[in-house]
Amino acid sequence: MRDLLPDESARARTITDGIISRMQRWGYHEVVTPTIEYFDTLVRGEGTEAGDRLFKLVDRGGELLALRPEMTTPVARLVTTHLRAQPLPLRLAYAGQVFRGSETGSGRLREFPQVGAELIGSDTLEADAEIVALAVDALAASGAVECSVSLGHVGFLRGVLGALGLSEEGAAEVRALLYQKDFVGLRAALDRYGVPAARGDALMALPTLSGPHAIQEARRVAETRETRGVLRDLEALAEILEAYGVGGAVRVDLGIIRDFDYYTGIVFEGHTAVLGFPLLGGGRYDRLLEGFGAPYPATGFAVRVDRVLAASPSRDEEGGAADVAVAFTAEDRTEALRLARALRERELSVTVEILGRPWEEMARGAFAAGTPRAVLVTGGRAVVRDADGHEQSVAVADLLAGHPGNGSAPWAS
Amino acid sequence: MTVAVASGRLLEDSMRTLEAAGYLTAETWRTTRRLILPCLDPHVRCLIAKPADLLTYVEHGAADLGIVGKDMLLEQGRDVYELVDLGFGACRGIVAFPEEKAAGWEALSPIRIATKYPRVTERYFWGQGRSVEVVEMNGTVELAPQVGVADGILDLVMTGRTLVENHLLEVTEVFRSSARLVVNRVSLRTRAEAVRTVVERMREAASARARSSV
Repeated sequence: MRDLLPDESARARTITDGIISRMQRWGYHEVVTPTIEYFDTLVRGEGTEAGDRLFKLVDRGGELLALRPEMTTPVARLVTTHLRAQPLPLRLAYAGQVFRGSETGSGRLREFPQVGAELIGSDTLEADAEIVALAVDALAASGAVECSVSLGHVGFLRGVLGALGLSEEGAAEVRALLYQKDFVGLRAALDRYGVPAARGDALMALPTLSGPHAIQEARRVAETRETRGVLRDLEALAEILEAYGVGGAVRVDLGIIRDFDYYTGIVFEGHTAVLGFPLLGGGRYDRLLEGFGAPYPATGFAVRVDRVLAASPSRDEEGGAADVAVAFTAEDRTEALRLARALRERELSVTVEILGRPWEEMARGAFAAGTPRAVLVTGGRAVVRDADGHEQSVAVADLLAGHPGNGSAPWAS
Repeated sequence: MTVAVASGRLLEDSMRTLEAAGYLTAETWRTTRRLILPCLDPHVRCLIAKPADLLTYVEHGAADLGIVGKDMLLEQGRDVYELVDLGFGACRGIVAFPEEKAAGWEALSPIRIATKYPRVTERYFWGQGRSVEVVEMNGTVELAPQVGVADGILDLVMTGRTLVENHLLEVTEVFRSSARLVVNRVSLRTRAEAVRTVVERMREAASARARSSV
């Protein structure tokens, strides 16, 4: 759990708004779903095992509720109910807090902000390409530096695993080891189950099956019908991404391991060289909406705003001081507040003196806090002082009307 | 590129393996108390961390790679790639009881276990369908049963001599440990070439050392 102070909070909002408005340019419409969902709804989307990592609540009627651990399931619920009659495909975006009950330890938060997009109703490579290109664009809009997207496919792993000829128990163990990224244990398990070295090598090679030669290399180590089809698709996808102009930011990486009960096709992660955790994750999940009675194929991704925040340089101008500090003598309150209102309408941030400090002290305090300009309204006139000491006196009426009193009013339009 | 090395029992062998892989010379690590060592390869540096902190450095990407015992990986369950068994630092995680309790340990209930590995301990006993009261300790775990803090211990043993000297009897093995080379999941992608080079050189150095010590 963590707090965001004014500077960070402003940056987080800029990141979120930047990504959402970029998504809107791609025709994605923002939706908002409740933080609290029925437990059954969430489990229907994410599988019973996910139930363990949910924050659960019980309402007065004894109904079991839970905080959403991600936004895809709530969006799926929304699509299969309220938006059922809408023509496909649907392009939806969201931004919100998500919650994980079981995540503890360093670098793992129980609550964090996500911004994401879902493209629902198409199973084409064109749809996959759009969502990956949008992910690249979202990272660019986020302001995080040195970003790239690694693109894999669960079908490759499924094909390789299927060809090992393992028992159900053996397959489960191998999958668990893959999730843990324990390649030492994986080698031992493959030997123990008597998997021929050549077949096992395809799994052991996963961490290195990335980069420009990944697909050729993958063809060399894996030869099944499923992997052939997957690699063909990835090749075609890479070509479309090239046409999108994002080829340089995407690399094929067959070692991307994400939940293969949930994902059914491409899977991808966004990384930056300056952070040890992925910035975004996503993929194709064609079975999720089936659980809600609408067999729509879908693909999407979510950006971790907290991680983008950690990966983007902090900027001084945000979240800081007001643009103008206004003080007044008692009989000029109305005049001063009208001035403040007028300046706010011009999109300046304005604070009004409420401590009753002498003008000199108040101005010094404002400049020290980084506010570049202070105004004292007194006797129907405004004394405008800049941080550099430059000062002038202008009729308030001229300031408000935007007509320079003596040719040099500070906010002349 | 930063390689984190766990201080303590794995340090000497880790350094020797890094030396065999051509990253360090013996003088650099024997003659200094610095916690960040420059390497022969100017693009690589070596960081010395407490074993319990090592995976934090790697998981956060403060180190791209790390050398750490499997015991820590099992205990902490961090999201890192475990790529190479470096072979050295071999030991076993075992459950032991005072000689007089050892025979009936399977019937003890409730059972109190002193350990540096609370998560491993809970997982193990829950896996057996038994509830366990974990007494978390940071060292000299073998003392706990003698002073009545716990019934038994779950701890790492190499030769078993400490057990004998403290009148403890091993009743079961829970895991086997040795030093592992781990990699941050993002470094594996954003610094793919450099990471692979280190991994392969370390893999070769480790197996060459294993051969020569036979």
